[in-house]
Amino acid sequence: MRQSLLALLAKEPAHGYELKQALEAIFGSAYPSPNIGQIYVTLGRLEKDGHVRSVGVEQSNRPNKKVYYITAAGLETLQAWAEEPTEGPRVRDEFFMKLVLAPMTGLSDRMALINRQRRHYLSLMRELGELAERTDPGDRVALLLIEGAMLHLQADLDWLERCQEELP
Amino acid sequence: MTTTPAIRAVNLVKIYQSGRGLPVPAVRGVDLTVDPGEFVAIMGPSGSGKSTLIHLLGGLDTRTSGEIWLDGKRADTLSESGWAVLRREKIGFVFQFFNLVTNMTVADNVELPALLGGASPRHARERREYLLGELGLTDRAAAAPAQLSGGEQQRVALARALANQPRLLLADEPTGNLDSRNTRDVLKLLSRVHRQGQTIVLVTHDARVAGLADRVVSLLDGEIVDDGAIVRRRGPGGTAGDVVELRG
Amino acid sequence: MASRMIGSAEGRWIRADLRARRGQALLTVLTVAGIVTALIAAATLLEDGTNPWRGLFERGRGAHIWLHTKTVPDVSALKSLDGVTDVAGPYHSAPATLAADRGRKVPISLQEAPAALPAVARPLLSEGRWLDVRHPEGVVVERSFARAIGLRPGSPFTVTGLNGATHTLTVAGLAETGDQGFYPEWAPGLAWTLRQTLTAVEPAPGRTETVTGLRLADPGLTDLIVQRAVFTLHGQVQRVTTWREVRAAMELDNRLLGLLLGLFGVAGLVAAALALANVTGGRVLTQLRDIATLKSLGFTRGQITRMLLVEHGALGLAGIALGVVAAWLITAYALGESGVTPLSPGPHAAITVGTALVVLVAVWLPAWRGGRTPPLPAVPAAPPRGRLSRLARLALLVRLPPALVLGARDAFTRRTPALLTICGVAIPMMMITIGLGCWATLDDFIRHPEGVGQAAALAVRPADLTAEETRERVMADPDVVAAYPGAELDALVPGQTRTVRTRALGTSADPYPFPVAEGRMFRDRGEAVAGQGLLDLLGARVGDRVRITIGGTPLIVRIVGRVIEPEQDGEVLSLGIDSLAAKDAVPPRFYGLVLRPGAEPGEARARLQAQGLEVAQAVNPADRLAVIRVIIVALVVVLALIGLANLLTAGALGLRDHVLDLAVLKAMGLTPRQVMATLVTGTGLLAVVGVLLGGCVGALWSRALIDLEGRHSGVGAGIGRAPTPGMLAAAIGIAIGAALLVALIPARRAARARIPVTAR
Repeated sequence: MRQSLLALLAKEPAHGYELKQALEAIFGSAYPSPNIGQIYVTLGRLEKDGHVRSVGVEQSNRPNKKVYYITAAGLETLQAWAEEPTEGPRVRDEFFMKLVLAPMTGLSDRMALINRQRRHYLSLMRELGELAERTDPGDRVALLLIEGAMLHLQADLDWLERCQEELP
Repeated sequence: MTTTPAIRAVNLVKIYQSGRGLPVPAVRGVDLTVDPGEFVAIMGPSGSGKSTLIHLLGGLDTRTSGEIWLDGKRADTLSESGWAVLRREKIGFVFQFFNLVTNMTVADNVELPALLGGASPRHARERREYLLGELGLTDRAAAAPAQLSGGEQQRVALARALANQPRLLLADEPTGNLDSRNTRDVLKLLSRVHRQGQTIVLVTHDARVAGLADRVVSLLDGEIVDDGAIVRRRGPGGTAGDVVELRG
Repeated sequence: MASRMIGSAEGRWIRADLRARRGQALLTVLTVAGIVTALIAAATLLEDGTNPWRGLFERGRGAHIWLHTKTVPDVSALKSLDGVTDVAGPYHSAPATLAADRGRKVPISLQEAPAALPAVARPLLSEGRWLDVRHPEGVVVERSFARAIGLRPGSPFTVTGLNGATHTLTVAGLAETGDQGFYPEWAPGLAWTLRQTLTAVEPAPGRTETVTGLRLADPGLTDLIVQRAVFTLHGQVQRVTTWREVRAAMELDNRLLGLLLGLFGVAGLVAAALALANVTGGRVLTQLRDIATLKSLGFTRGQITRMLLVEHGALGLAGIALGVVAAWLITAYALGESGVTPLSPGPHAAITVGTALVVLVAVWLPAWRGGRTPPLPAVPAAPPRGRLSRLARLALLVRLPPALVLGARDAFTRRTPALLTICGVAIPMMMITIGLGCWATLDDFIRHPEGVGQAAALAVRPADLTAEETRERVMADPDVVAAYPGAELDALVPGQTRTVRTRALGTSADPYPFPVAEGRMFRDRGEAVAGQGLLDLLGARVGDRVRITIGGTPLIVRIVGRVIEPEQDGEVLSLGIDSLAAKDAVPPRFYGLVLRPGAEPGEARARLQAQGLEVAQAVNPADRLAVIRVIIVALVVVLALIGLANLLTAGALGLRDHVLDLAVLKAMGLTPRQVMATLVTGTGLLAVVGVLLGGCVGALWSRALIDLEGRHSGVGAGIGRAPTPGMLAAAIGIAIGAALLVALIPARRAARARIPVTAR
């Protein structure tokens, strides 16, 4: 959240509600709609760290609103974030743990674990597929996100297959 | 009331002879029942016998032992010609490499099964026009298969498989040779014909294809290790925003 | 149409496939058409060459029966006979004597003819003019007679009638006829004159006779109609000749020629079958995936087989139809002008039906194999690859360039097609070599006539002279080396109703140089040599004694040898003239003259004729077989085309197999030139193997095969010659060159094409 707000402010100064609207416009339904309170809390933290500064603007019949500007330090932090490589998603170790440990306990055998997991993944895949069909075809960011999720799922299923072949 | 299964395999076995005369079992005692209107995906690692199984179900290969019942009639005892006649009436086949007849135009390819089934040329043409229209290929009717993209070829192959309104649609890795965009097109078509009540059995590696199915059958070393419905965790609803949650 | 007989789905596929390969389909049709045309043309030439009667008879609308009567018969009674369509004549005919050159007197027969050519039994004018009332002194002479006597249009024609009066007429023209045989087999010679001229030469009506010709609707009824005509004319008829006698007199009863043509016909058919099987097989091989797809759609095995059979068979049958039409056009227009008659229906039907059967069998095999394709199109038809053949490893060992090694590897990866390609080249090449062997055999006949019993180029009959005078005169000629006294007699052999020729030539002490192929020459009285035909006829072997009867005198001879005998189908017994009874041997009927080597027989003949001798020149069997040479040339061309067509198919097939490999090779850095060399080596190697194999087998076999033909035709084994080494080397060289050129065509195209790396 911090980086996305900084990035939006780097484009142009804005007040809190404008930031919420901008986020919704860009990501559409791909991300859960941000909470306005959460945005103000984050902005407050950023201001405390010296990444942004706020200027009050008077409004008739309403409380003053704050317009936020990015600072030089904020720009530097943003620059560093953009240049740094992003960590990839990690293998779900919880299932792997189950897979390795559960047979030892005698509670479940691996084959059943894998089959259950596969069905689970496939039902996830089905839901993703339905989601993609429901999504407005013009919403490219959302569709890309769904496709990314599907490809991750495909990889997980392939990995399940490997587990089934390799583990006795 | 019990319905007649669209296809039923009982203790199906296929053993190949390797080059040195050693028996190589590809399918080892498969029991499978597919009800009308069902969409079954067969998954499994390569070499697990899933292609062999679908070939056996379509009579493209002969079983070593076991029974195959198609639409309530026993089919495994049929001769090659008997299978051929059965196929042209009741089975549509879609392959990984499309397998359109290279010499014939798209229109001829789609009309061929209808003509083979004894339909009049006029009826075959009408059916072809309808199918190509449904698949958005009307303007490619006169093209040669080689002039089409992979996705278009597979759509034509699907149209050809559906030309005789078969009881059963068999597909062997139908998206195995397509990019993701063309895969999406074929998936849409498959789910549409499935919604119209088409019984489908397909072999796939692609989870997106399998995700469409009502039921998934997993093969390992020629045996079924899992066979069960894909249950929906919750009712329809949600937005793309749920993806993060789904992944979580 | 076909779509009714076979399902509309199959019809659709056949149409699509033919549309996709118009060029290849056309080539197939043309190949078959070429073979059929060649076969029919060859058979036509052969029939015409050995049986000139048919052509002459048809063109002149000859009469099947000729009635010789003393007086004019009742024409209307003859015309009303059942089965008679037309009547020729009646014409007056009178015997006379022609004063030939050097004071010789030759009996002739003058026959009346109208000034306007008649519709039936029309003489066929070949040179000069026909009879004209304004020039009553003009006569038209039968061509074979004119040639024997040395008459040409414009020559004086001095005839003496039975009353001794001499008339000087002129030869106006020469004509052929199918109503009487050739001179001298059919004597006396014939000349046509106007009625008035005939009356002038022979005014006494008692000495002329009348000839009337009957043309029949059905030649098979000849005997019956002869009986009826004789009955109708109440004993007026003095003599009857029928078309059968004329035909027999004209026919060259040459079994050798027939056998050779049969051999070539079979060769042509085998080659045609091979070409079709190759094309069809190649096509089916490239279509295995499509065929499997069709089966997955529900085509049955039978449907596929039938579909392929109909498609490829239809091409073959279309080729036959085209060939029949082309042959008809050729015989009607190109050969028609030189007077060749179209082939009679029997052989025509045999060729057409035979080729059709061959076509269907040749196509059926690949079609059947295509039908057995498993319905599993998912498995791409990949060629077996990887392992270097032994040959390729050898090529590597001797450090050949990489292109050659790769090509050598490709050549044998697919065993069956490789074998088919080799056969497809070797069999036509073998046939070509055998054809060349026949050619060499004919050349040998001409170069060494003594090898076929024709050491004597000339035969002299004493005519008016005594035997001793004749001998002296001929020996005086500078070119004559030896003169053997001879006699030719008919002998009756036990168990046979007909006679065989007995030839006495030379004496036991000084025998004529017969070409002895087996046993030895006769050395004593009572010994003889025989041709294969006679041995077969008598069931005798060399060393056996046979008893024959000559002019009532029995004669027992021992056959001590077998000679090459080109005459009378080998049914000739040859012995020394001293073995004959004196009444038959003295004086000798003729002398066989052996000329010095290099002498021109024609010149010697002219010189001897100038001395008043009757000289006949021997006809070399090669001249009689000359038509074979035309057939050999035509056959070699067709066979060469077939071989090359087979290679083209093989090349295209090889290319299909290696398209993917080629992409990889190019990516590895092979230049287009090297790629081309690889492909050319691939097919070229097979072609070279095929050519060498075919050439060697052909050279080995041609001698044996021709000897076999010789044996069965009665001439006897021992005539066969292999093609000369030069001829063979040239043929092999040309064949290999042409094969490499043909292999180059697809290779060049492939080397230049950009080959995408795609899934099949």
